[in-house]
Amino acid sequence: MNTIRAWFTKTGEASYISHLDLQRVMGRAMRRAKLPVWYSKGFNPHIYMTFALPLSLGQESLVESVDFRSEEENLDFEAMAKALSDALPRGIEVKKMYFADTDAAKIASAKYQVRIAGDWTSAMEKYNALPEAIIEKKTKRGSKPLNLKEQIPQIESWVRDGETCFALTLPAGSSGLNLNPSLLLQYLEQQYGLPAAQAHILRVAIYTEDGGKFLG
Amino acid sequence: MFNENLKAALAAVQKPGRYTGGEPGCVYKDKSDLDLRFAFCFPDTYEVGMSFLGMKILYEELNKNPHWWCERAFMPWVDMKAEMEKRNIPLYCLESKDPLSEFDIVGFTLQYELSYTNILAMLDMAGIPLRAADRDDTMPLVVAGGPCVCNAEPLAPFFDMMMLGEGEEQLPAVCELTVRAKKEGWSKKQLLRAMADIPGCYIPSLYEVNYNEDGTVKEILPLDGVPAVVTKAIIKDMNSQPLPTNFIVPMVGAVHDRAQIEVLRGCVRGCRFCQAGFLYRPMRERKAEMLNEAARDLCANTGYDEVSLTSLSTSDHSQLETLLDEMLEWTPEQHVNMALPSLRIDNFSESLIQKTTKVRKSGLTFAPEAGTQRLRDVINKNVTWEEIEKSCRTAFEGGYTGVKLYFMMGLPTETMEDIEGIAETAQKIVDLYYQNPDKPKGRGVQVTISVSCFVPKPHTPFQFCPQDTKEMLEEKQRHLVRSVKSKKITVRYHDSKTSFLEAVFAKGDRRLADALEEAYRRGCYFDGWDDQFKYDTWLEVFHDLGVDMAFYANRQIPTDEITPWDHLHYGVTKRYLISEYEKALSAKTTPPCNRHCAGCGANKLLGGACFEYDQSVVHQNG
Repeated sequence: MNTIRAWFTKTGEASYISHLDLQRVMGRAMRRAKLPVWYSKGFNPHIYMTFALPLSLGQESLVESVDFRSEEENLDFEAMAKALSDALPRGIEVKKMYFADTDAAKIASAKYQVRIAGDWTSAMEKYNALPEAIIEKKTKRGSKPLNLKEQIPQIESWVRDGETCFALTLPAGSSGLNLNPSLLLQYLEQQYGLPAAQAHILRVAIYTEDGGKFLG
Repeated sequence: MFNENLKAALAAVQKPGRYTGGEPGCVYKDKSDLDLRFAFCFPDTYEVGMSFLGMKILYEELNKNPHWWCERAFMPWVDMKAEMEKRNIPLYCLESKDPLSEFDIVGFTLQYELSYTNILAMLDMAGIPLRAADRDDTMPLVVAGGPCVCNAEPLAPFFDMMMLGEGEEQLPAVCELTVRAKKEGWSKKQLLRAMADIPGCYIPSLYEVNYNEDGTVKEILPLDGVPAVVTKAIIKDMNSQPLPTNFIVPMVGAVHDRAQIEVLRGCVRGCRFCQAGFLYRPMRERKAEMLNEAARDLCANTGYDEVSLTSLSTSDHSQLETLLDEMLEWTPEQHVNMALPSLRIDNFSESLIQKTTKVRKSGLTFAPEAGTQRLRDVINKNVTWEEIEKSCRTAFEGGYTGVKLYFMMGLPTETMEDIEGIAETAQKIVDLYYQNPDKPKGRGVQVTISVSCFVPKPHTPFQFCPQDTKEMLEEKQRHLVRSVKSKKITVRYHDSKTSFLEAVFAKGDRRLADALEEAYRRGCYFDGWDDQFKYDTWLEVFHDLGVDMAFYANRQIPTDEITPWDHLHYGVTKRYLISEYEKALSAKTTPPCNRHCAGCGANKLLGGACFEYDQSVVHQNG
C-alpha cells in the first residue's frame, strides 16, 4: 500500500469551498478521474483521505495537498494529476502527484501574501512601533489573549497598483500554535480601521521544522 | 462580474459557496457566439434548487445547443440578499455572474406556492419590474414552468408566459421562437402571440377574467384568437428522451445530493389528494436497459456514490426487479449505493428489500396517509392494514429497526376516529416489532409519524373541498398527541399556518397578485421557511386589502362553478374529477390505471390507450 500526495492550488471561486465540502468534492473528483484509490473496509467503505493544513474559507492557496492510498504499484502520476485536475472544479488545479514523502506532522509554519485595497502603510508603521499587540484568540476551550508581536514583530509593507502588500510567515501545523493571518487583520481592523473582510490572503508556502518546503 | 464588490459580500455571508458557481459539470460558453441567454431561476435556496431534477434535465437540454447558454440563479439567503442590496449587486447567474436583466429569457420554476414571494424578490433584486405590463421590449421575457403553473393565476400579472406540462420539447421550441423574434425584430407582443401556438404555452395577458358579484369567476375570455383552453405539453414516449448524464455536482451540500434516475413519469395510483398524480398523467416508463446505462454513465460522470431511482411511484415500474439486478452487477464494485424512494407498501417485496440493502442500509419510510381503512378508501390510497403489516414485518425481519410513516390530517370526511386511527396504526407497528423473534438484541423500535395538513389542490378530485380551518387542524393535532401512548412513537406535525397560506394561493385567482406584491413589499419572502415566515404580516396584508383568505381556502366549491384554472387543461377532464369526488364521499375506490382504465381522459394526450391491458389482470381486479 502506498500513500500518494496530490499538490493542488485553490484560488478564485474555489476559495469559497469550505474544508468540509472540499473533502466531498475531492472524493467525487477522484471517482470521476477513476484514480486507483483504496477504500476503507467495513460497512461503509470510503476513500481514505487526509488534507495537510486546512485553509480558511475565502483564503486562496498555491500549496494545498491531499494524501490518499493506493494498492497499485505502477502509477502514471502525470496522467493521474491531469485526470484529477480535469475532474475538479474551476480554481482547483493539481500541480503534481507523487509518493508522499514528508510527514504532515512535521509542518511548522506557512507563508502568506496579503493584499488589501488602499494605502495602509502608515497603519503598519504604527503596528511596528507597538511594544505589544494583544488580541483574543478563540480556542476550543473559550478564548485567550495572544500577543501578536511575539509572532509578528514587524510588517514590511509596500503599495503596488493601489493595494497595500505584505508577507507573513506564521506558525502552523497540528501541534503547537497555529496562527491564522486573519487574526492579524482583525487586530489591524480594530485598531486602525483596515477593512479586513476585503483583504486577499494567499498561502504561498508551507515549511517543515527543518525549514524545508513541505511540498515539491 | 466576479469582482471586489462581490468578493466583499461573499466574505460577509454564511456558506458563500452557494453564490460562486464553478461546480464540476457547470457549463461555460463564449458570450460572443450566442443567440440566446436563458436564466433558469429557482425561487428557493441553492441547496433546495440543486436537488431539483427538472433543472438538471433542462440545463442539459438547452446547453446542447452551442448557441444557447442556460445558466442558473437561486434565491440568495437573507444575509446575502442584505449584502447584495447594500453593495448594489444585482441578482446574477452563477456561471457568468451577469445580472438577470441581461438575459433574453428569465425562467422560474414554480414548485411550491410559498416560494411565490421569492420570485418577486428575485426580479426586484435584478432590477426587473415585477409586473409584465411595466416591462418594455428591452427587458427579458419572464416566464414560468413547473407544477404550480396549473394554477399560478395569483402570479398572472407578473409573468409574460407560463408553460404547462413537460419542458423537454416545449422549452427548446420557446427558445427557437425567441431567437427568431430577435433576428427578425418582432415586438414582445408579437412574440407572445406567436408563442401561444406552442403546445402548453399560456399567455396570461391574453385571457380576460371576469368575476360574479359573489367573488366567483364568471368567465375566462381568450383574446386575440388564442385557444380557449391551454393543454399541457407532454413527452409521449419517455424512451425518446435521453436521461441527463452530466449533472452539475454541488459543492455546498444539496438537500438531495446524489445521482437521480427518473424511471417513470406519472403515476397509476390516482390518490385523490395528490396533485402530481393528476398533473403528470398518464404514467410512462423508461426501459430498464436505458435506465441502467444512464445510471452507470451518470455515476461515472459525477463521481456520486449514491444513485436514486426516482419517480412518483418507483415500485410500479414493470421492470423494476430486472433493473435492480442489472444495476447490482456494477454498483457494489463501484462503491455505489442504491436508494429507492417512494416505494409502495402493497408491493414492497422481500427480494426488493434484499436488493436495496445489499450496499447500504438506510431508513424505511411508508405513507399510509390516513389512519383508518374508511378514510384511506376516501382518498383512494389503496393500501390495507394487512399490507402495512406485511411490509413492516418484512422490514423488521430484514433488520430494520426504524419506520417512518407519513400521514395527513384535515382530509375530506375526516373525524376524530380517523385521527385516533393514526396513533393506533403506529402502536400496532410497535407491537409487531416486539413479536418478531429475531429482533436485534437490546435495540428498541422507533416509529415516527409525520403528519402534514391537507391542502386541497387544483386539478384533483378534492379541488372542490374546503380546507379545515386552522383551529380545526390544531384541535386534531392535540387529539393525536393525546392518543399516542408509547414512547417508541414520535409525532411530528406541520405548522397549520403555512398550510393555510398554501391553500389560499393554490386555489387563488388573479386578484391575489396585489396581496402577494404587498406582502413582499412588507418584507415577506422565504415564506416556506418557518424561521422566516411572517404569518401576522400576511394576515395584515389581506386585512388591509380587504381580501378574504377563507373564501379561497375554506370554501366548498360547487362542482358546476367555474374555477380560476378551468382554462388550463392537464388531460384529465373535469367530469372525471367530479365523479372521483363523488366516489370519495361514499368511500368507493378506483383501481390503479395500469389494471383498469377509469376513463380520466389523459389517454387523449397520447392519442391511444395508456397501457397494453393484460386481460387476465383486468378480470382479476374487476
